Amino acid sequence: MLQRTLAAAPQLAVALLGLGLLDAVGSAPPDRGLAKKGPHARKVVAAAVVDESAVVPAAGTTDTLAARHLLSRGTFGVTGDDLEHVLDIGIDAWLREQLEPEGFDDEEMAARLARYPAAGMEQDELYERFPPPQVLQRQLRRMGGDRDSVGFDQEAIQTLRLELGVQPPGRILFDLAGAKLQRAVYSERQLEEVMTDFWFNHFNVFFGKAADRWLVGEYEREAIRPHVFGRFEDMLVATARHPAMLFYLDNWTNVAPDSLRTEDANFERLRAMPADRRRRFLERRGVSAEQIEQIQVVMERRRNMQQGINENYARELLELHTLGVDGGYDQDDVIEVARVFTGWGITRPGRGETGPIRFSYQSRLHDPTDKQVLGETVRGSDGMGGMKEGLDVLARLAVHPSTARHLATKLAVAFVADRPPEGLVEELESVFLETGGDLRAMTFALFSSPHFYDPALYGAKLKTPFELVASALRVSDATVMPSRPLFETLNEMGELPYAAQPPTGYPDEGEDWSNSGSLLQRVNFAIALAAGQIRGVRVPDPDDPSTVVARVLPGADVTALAPAIADELQASGTPPREYGRRTLGLALGSPEFQTR
Amino acid sequence: MSGMHRRVFLKGGAVALLALGAPPSFLARAAMAASPLGGSSGRRKTVVFVFQRGAVDGLNMVIPFGDAEYYDARRSIAVEPPRRGDVERAIDLDGFFGLHPALSPLHELYGRGEMSIVHACGSPHPTRSHFDAQDFMETATPGDKATRDGWLNRLLAATDPHACGCDHGHGGAPTSGAGDGRTLDDAAAHASDHAVGQSALAGGGDGGQLLSPLRGVALSAEMPRALRGRYETVAIPDLAEFGVAGGRDESLEGAFDRLYRTKDTPAGSMDLLTDAAEGSFDAIELIERTDPLSYAPRAGVQYPGTDFGRSLLQIAQLIKADAGVEVAFADIGGWDTHVGQGGASGQLANRFTELGRGLRAFCDDLGDRMEDVLVVSMSEFGRTVRENGSGGTDHGHGNCMMVLGGAAAGGQVLGRWPGLEREQLYEGRDLAITTDFRDVFAEVALRHLGADALEANQMESIFPGFAVNPARFVGALR
Repeated sequence: MLQRTLAAAPQLAVALLGLGLLDAVGSAPPDRGLAKKGPHARKVVAAAVVDESAVVPAAGTTDTLAARHLLSRGTFGVTGDDLEHVLDIGIDAWLREQLEPEGFDDEEMAARLARYPAAGMEQDELYERFPPPQVLQRQLRRMGGDRDSVGFDQEAIQTLRLELGVQPPGRILFDLAGAKLQRAVYSERQLEEVMTDFWFNHFNVFFGKAADRWLVGEYEREAIRPHVFGRFEDMLVATARHPAMLFYLDNWTNVAPDSLRTEDANFERLRAMPADRRRRFLERRGVSAEQIEQIQVVMERRRNMQQGINENYARELLELHTLGVDGGYDQDDVIEVARVFTGWGITRPGRGETGPIRFSYQSRLHDPTDKQVLGETVRGSDGMGGMKEGLDVLARLAVHPSTARHLATKLAVAFVADRPPEGLVEELESVFLETGGDLRAMTFALFSSPHFYDPALYGAKLKTPFELVASALRVSDATVMPSRPLFETLNEMGELPYAAQPPTGYPDEGEDWSNSGSLLQRVNFAIALAAGQIRGVRVPDPDDPSTVVARVLPGADVTALAPAIADELQASGTPPREYGRRTLGLALGSPEFQTR
Repeated sequence: MSGMHRRVFLKGGAVALLALGAPPSFLARAAMAASPLGGSSGRRKTVVFVFQRGAVDGLNMVIPFGDAEYYDARRSIAVEPPRRGDVERAIDLDGFFGLHPALSPLHELYGRGEMSIVHACGSPHPTRSHFDAQDFMETATPGDKATRDGWLNRLLAATDPHACGCDHGHGGAPTSGAGDGRTLDDAAAHASDHAVGQSALAGGGDGGQLLSPLRGVALSAEMPRALRGRYETVAIPDLAEFGVAGGRDESLEGAFDRLYRTKDTPAGSMDLLTDAAEGSFDAIELIERTDPLSYAPRAGVQYPGTDFGRSLLQIAQLIKADAGVEVAFADIGGWDTHVGQGGASGQLANRFTELGRGLRAFCDDLGDRMEDVLVVSMSEFGRTVRENGSGGTDHGHGNCMMVLGGAAAGGQVLGRWPGLEREQLYEGRDLAITTDFRDVFAEVALRHLGADALEANQMESIFPGFAVNPARFVGALR
């Protein structure tokens, strides 16, 4: 299954390698001036946090169900220890603790993550240890292989990998997903993990899209995680500039029309032909087979480079990242925004090299004319000034009322209910607008709103497959080592991390995750986990079966479930020595455990 | 509430029948009973919907080689007009349209009159968002994002006498979604009234009206929007593994069955779960009894070894096993060709190869049974007429659909061709639409699935806000 996911990845950008064909590459401007974190923004956060604190029950008065509810949404699964902690210090203090994740010692987590080294590697090292097959093929050719062979000889490449001690790039996902799961299960910075998951999904990129394999880890590390309690605009700009996004939504191919045209008419004529027609054209003129091959390679590469607008990023920027589909823009705005982002590209390593891919603004490829975005003129400019157009548009979008509405709704759906209370959405919307998009303030508002603590909404969300797996591992005292079967399970349930192909990411609503097939997969996962049948995951045999249900669902009302499970064990004639694991399996597979 | 009601009825029915001494294989016979969708023939009809997610470039799937504008707009990705003996060109269909060469396995079906094509077809809504457009197509309500259920779910509900045809007023219209506040207990009591009333029929081998829990299936891990809704449909990622603990532990299966069925306080996500559970356990039982995995593909038939190929193979197995499938759904992705899509060969051609081989294998495998089976392809919108700067195409508007099977009015490309001159294009850039996709859906529902027996208000429940009018049908079916 895992292999299938990877194999299905589009082979779009082999072109990334050996591209040194662009005539000129502008250099990226320094980061200075982009990050607008200042004392002011910080003060707003503090003010919002303090102002809102009155609605939260004070320490010592927190009721168990409310605390359980908070943990079920603000962590990857309620554990007995966490519940005790919240009841001890109160909801408000717990939120403050979690909103300052630096306060938690990270050493133990660092030791755990060491088992998933690729997740923390820089691009250089990733290319070295997980080289693209094209690089290995070139090496094979140099070593005297068949010079004419165009396709990849998988076997020869695999042998070479063994000789060099390197691995296929698909293997990077194993470490990325493994590290994510470690954090979800064991990190004390639970709220940061939950919000990182949410915002990555919001600004989704897909591991399987060619060059993104070497970029996704860095993307989460640099463009998402540092901003989850920061300013939305900073995250928006960081994603817009990150090569993972520029590649995923094709903006690296978005250039001003005709900006690549050369003066050579014959060249242009040849370039415009379809490959097969070009081949016949050249053959008729007596060009040698070897030369034709060379010309074809150059021309196809030329053709893969851009000569026009590509709307993909602009569209998703408006529809998904900021305004929302009903946010009041139209197709003309999409085209105009695409023109604004012409020239936002990536550095491409020279032929045969595999250096890191970086953001690069290429002013030669930018459309310097004026644009009309959402009814306002964006003054076009050339030179490095052209990049400012994009930053200005991002700044406008980042604090637009439609963006506030869109993000407020999305947060409320993800963390509160599939049909969230309108009052909550309005509350989050105004916090976002008043603080200029401060995500710490917004997160605090979300988890402390009286709407959030409406008992009618307790247990109202269906866990997604990843939430189910993480929470099951959390309550079963599992020791999780690198485990391929675990990822195969996640893939089959439809939520393998970093593997959501569409820019929407994975869905947030229960209807998308509940159907007969997926219910069986949930139940089957629970059985396999409890029985210790998932390789790489060790689950201790519960020594006291009578406490298992309460441990799986701390703080919940299990007065119906616990005896029901006990009855089942008796009726099925389960031998008493299997009571512990059997109870665990039934509890983890129970309807109560599928919700949060 | 209708879905839950029907499920409870089935189980309640089982208990009632067993109490009356009816044979335990009633579920299997329920599956084989004549379907209300069979129309007057009494034979069960099936439609397999294939969704090409990502917006296929319909202009390169079925190429308007007779329209000179096509070649002007697509200088590097056009497929050249047919020429006898040249397999890298379009395959002539009618002197104006040609099939992409990678779809050659389908050409024979077209020649035999078992495949028709509707061109310049699609959604009247202007959105160029994949997600909105897919939703609109699957809910069959373009422009209305509030629709929660899929049109196929509503079709199944409208044609299920237990879900809608009873006179107790047990549930609102299937589109209401909100249910009627009736609790499970009420529904169960209500259902067992039915069971007693029906038991003589069912037990007497008179066909009865028990319907298969597999009427609506998706061969995928995720349930497509089109089948989602209150009526229970089943998503099956893999037939061989469809069961609790892979079908190896009956006591566990029973235990989970009870844990889920005894939830008596459905709220929020819980009713989603109980519905899913009831669907699962009924489906497991039926699959056990009909044993679809014992049906191997016909000799010489080779499905592609891809997710799509496996989906089609398993749909064929369910059909051959008489498991009662009336609507099946399969996805095939990879059509969002913004960059380097290629022409007669290349990225897009490779996708067509998988599509063409898969569909052909399915038709060959089912053989004579294709008389009662229809395959309908769809995709959320078409792509720009003009190629973009990246040797690809961007999101467009009009597209084409394919209809395969014995009931297809084959050998024709249907629909009015709007032309590709700039002033003929939608918003000056995309193929215009001359056939609303709902007219094709409605034609399939009426002519093949027997929805013509439904009353007007039931048709309205399947296609809300859209007046079905057979005079507009393009005649894709015989």
